[in-house]
Amino acid sequence: MSLFAALSIGASGMAAQRVRAEALTENLANAETTRTPEGGPYRRKDVVFQSASVASPFSSVFDAEMQSLGGTGAGGVEVAGIVTDPSPPEMRYLPGHPDANAEGYVAFPHINPAEDMVDLMGAARNYEANVAAISAVKDMIQKSIDLLH
Amino acid sequence: MLNALTSDLERYMDLLSARQKLVASNIANADTPGYRTQDFDFQTEFAQAISRTAMSAEPGPPLVSPVSGLALKNDGNNVNLDREARLLSENALRFSAASNLLRGQLQMVRTAIKEGQGS
Repeated sequence: MSLFAALSIGASGMAAQRVRAEALTENLANAETTRTPEGGPYRRKDVVFQSASVASPFSSVFDAEMQSLGGTGAGGVEVAGIVTDPSPPEMRYLPGHPDANAEGYVAFPHINPAEDMVDLMGAARNYEANVAAISAVKDMIQKSIDLLH
Repeated sequence: MLNALTSDLERYMDLLSARQKLVASNIANADTPGYRTQDFDFQTEFAQAISRTAMSAEPGPPLVSPVSGLALKNDGNNVNLDREARLLSENALRFSAASNLLRGQLQMVRTAIKEGQGS
C-alpha cells in the first residue's frame, strides 16, 4: 500500500525536524554556559539530515510475500548525526568570573542566537509542511475506505 | 475490475498514490543536503498504464527521475516547498474526484444487485 508508506515518510520528516528543534533550543538555552561535563564552554550543536527508506516491518514483509514492485525509490529522512561546532570559544574579559583564566578572560560559547532562532523557525515550518502532507494522505486513505460504504 | 472505466479509475488512483508518496518524500527531505526533487511524468505514465491494462498486462511502477528547472540551494538541495504544497493538494483533490466517480460506478452495481429497490 503506497499511501501508508507516504504516512511513514511524513512521520520520519516530523521526527527529524523535532530532533533539529531540540538541538537548536539546547543551543539557545546554553548560549552563556561556561561549564560542561566535557570541560570548557558549551559548543553549538547542529543536526545533519540524510534521506532513508522508511519501510515499516509489516509492509516490507508483506511486499516481499506479494512479490510486488512497490519500490519506487521514494524515501523518508533520518538524522545522519549531530555535529559539534569546532569554532574557538568567544573570549570575554570578566576578571571577577569564577571561570576566568589567568589573564581574566572567560571562554563563552560561540553562539549567535539570531542564527539559531532563524533555524528554529525553519524547523517549525518544515514540521508543519510534514503535518500537512500527512493530513492530505490521511484524507486520501479515508476516501478509499469510503468506497466500501 | 467491473468494466474499462473502473480499471482506468483504479490505475489513476494508483498513480496518484505513488505521486503523493513522492511529494511526501520531497517534503520530508526539504532540509536534506544534496537531495533532488523526485517526480514522474503523470500524463505519460497514465497513458502507458491504461494501454497496458487494455492488453491485460500488469503495469509496472512509474519511472521516477529528478525534476529539472528548480532553483538549487547552497547545500545542493532543490526542494521547492510551494511546488510540493500545490502538488499535495492537487493530488488529494484529484484522488477525491476519482474516488467519488468510482463510488458512483459501484453504486450502480449495488442497485442492479438489489433489483432497483432501495439503495
